[in-house]
Amino acid sequence: MQAFQRRPKWLKKWFPYLLVAPAVIYLLLITLYPGVYAAVQSFYAVKFGPWNPVGWANYAKLWNDYQFWGALRNTLIIGSISLALECTIALTLAFFAYRDPWVQGWRIIFLIPMLFMPSAVAFIFKLGFLDARVVSDILMGVGLIERNLAIQSSIWMSRALLVLADVWQWTPFLFIIFVAALQGQDEEIEEAARLDGASWTAIFFNISLPLMRPIIAVALILRGIDISTMFTNVHIVTKGGPAFGTETMSFLIYRTGFKFFNFGYASAMSVIMLILTIVIAQFVVKRAFVSART
Amino acid sequence: MAKVRKSRAASLIVRYLILGAWAVVCLAPTLWFLSIGLRPRVEIITPQPIYWPTWSLDAWWKLWEQWPMAKYLRNSVAAIFGSVLIDLLLAIPAAYSLSRYEYRGRDDIGFYILSTRMMAPAIVAIPIFFLFKNLQLLDTIWALMIVFAAINLSIVTWIIRSYMLDIPKELEDAAKTDGASDLRILWEIIVPAILPGIITAAVIAMIFAINEFLFTLLIASTPDAYTLSVALANFTAGTDGVIYNSIALVAFIAFTPVFLVVIAIQRHLSRGLTMGAVKG
Repeated sequence: MQAFQRRPKWLKKWFPYLLVAPAVIYLLLITLYPGVYAAVQSFYAVKFGPWNPVGWANYAKLWNDYQFWGALRNTLIIGSISLALECTIALTLAFFAYRDPWVQGWRIIFLIPMLFMPSAVAFIFKLGFLDARVVSDILMGVGLIERNLAIQSSIWMSRALLVLADVWQWTPFLFIIFVAALQGQDEEIEEAARLDGASWTAIFFNISLPLMRPIIAVALILRGIDISTMFTNVHIVTKGGPAFGTETMSFLIYRTGFKFFNFGYASAMSVIMLILTIVIAQFVVKRAFVSART
Repeated sequence: MAKVRKSRAASLIVRYLILGAWAVVCLAPTLWFLSIGLRPRVEIITPQPIYWPTWSLDAWWKLWEQWPMAKYLRNSVAAIFGSVLIDLLLAIPAAYSLSRYEYRGRDDIGFYILSTRMMAPAIVAIPIFFLFKNLQLLDTIWALMIVFAAINLSIVTWIIRSYMLDIPKELEDAAKTDGASDLRILWEIIVPAILPGIITAAVIAMIFAINEFLFTLLIASTPDAYTLSVALANFTAGTDGVIYNSIALVAFIAFTPVFLVVIAIQRHLSRGLTMGAVKG
């Protein structure tokens, strides 16, 4: 055992930086390097051969590309509907579940969808709605519809299918967070309010919900990030169709780069998405995480 | 008084109806998909859906005969555990630095690490594809390991940091007066004290690595580096279309271990999923 420390002063000052450096360097290599690479490549026409400089042409093309704007719109539509549904359902379920002694035991059932691989969930929905048409069959059985749903020829039904798949798989994510947040709240406040004659609903909306606002923000942001990068379900279930109506940004970049090998153009799209991400991260995410912690 | 009791009973019924309905929503597709894995192929896509199939283990045997399942499993396990190991090696010191020292730029560094979680895979996909191509790492589990580790490093760091913040400073101070170095304190006092947090972080990183799809699709162009997640998307046999019963079985092969570890860490799950923002 050393009785005293002989570490030189400079080491003491730089030690915390040394500890965090490996992680930061690793992440810089895997995020900053690709960012710069994409930014440079976006000014070139790149197929497989040499890079031909084209200036701002890729961006100019982007500005007039209806598929690009369509993909942005689809991502927003599918994402916001999914997020709104997931949040509503998860809050409702959490409200009914969080003080219930029974639910503690079988809460794990509510988590099941989240524990499948997303590619597996995509196939569950592809089979159930499109290939085996089980859902159509059940709906016909109870008399809700007359004939099989023609999902693949309807843009809105295809979008709804992607929304359903996302809601099914990821509502549990918000549910488990909301339940934990509600359970973490002081029971005495609720008790006091109930003694004053407040109803369950009143307590939930006037006390519990405002208290958990910062946590709702964090949960929605984490979910929103993942929804905005939706790829797997599109790739497996709809392939972006019909008429590009379900093509998301991630899928468009993938298709442009790896199906049409238009790497320069795909990089220009990546750069636009990257800028959007950084702006959102700076202004929304940072705030939400800081306020949730304090 | 009787009226109050009656309305309480009614609200209980409403509560269990809603919770029960959602339990059915969660369970019905799951059990139906399991039944897909346990029926012959001819009974999957039929003009009229068959709800009570003739049970058979055909798909299970075919899975091992027709596809290099052992290889897929080995790839998955190696890439996932390797990536989690990299994450822990990098994240534990980083989290210690972020939670235990005061220095300039600390919060910005912490936020930078967090912000990499927001990077869409599609944004970095093309450069990373070329990076691995130039390094001749395409189609290897090393590439998968590196990518999975990068995806999860932010989460792992922030979860561990959150648990470290909970440890009272006195615990270290006592050791410091004994002359223990910072690294020894980290290894001998902090790490054992936050072991549940480290396990939670590792489990969540493991789940996200199992789920990863886009990068694996790009990096693994042949079955040599397929993981389960991408392998099942390739269960098509030429003109026969999608082989759903094999897909279902692979889905449950991946589901089972995840289900078991999640039961084990249930209490920590919400804290892990929010990267420490919720103290579950």
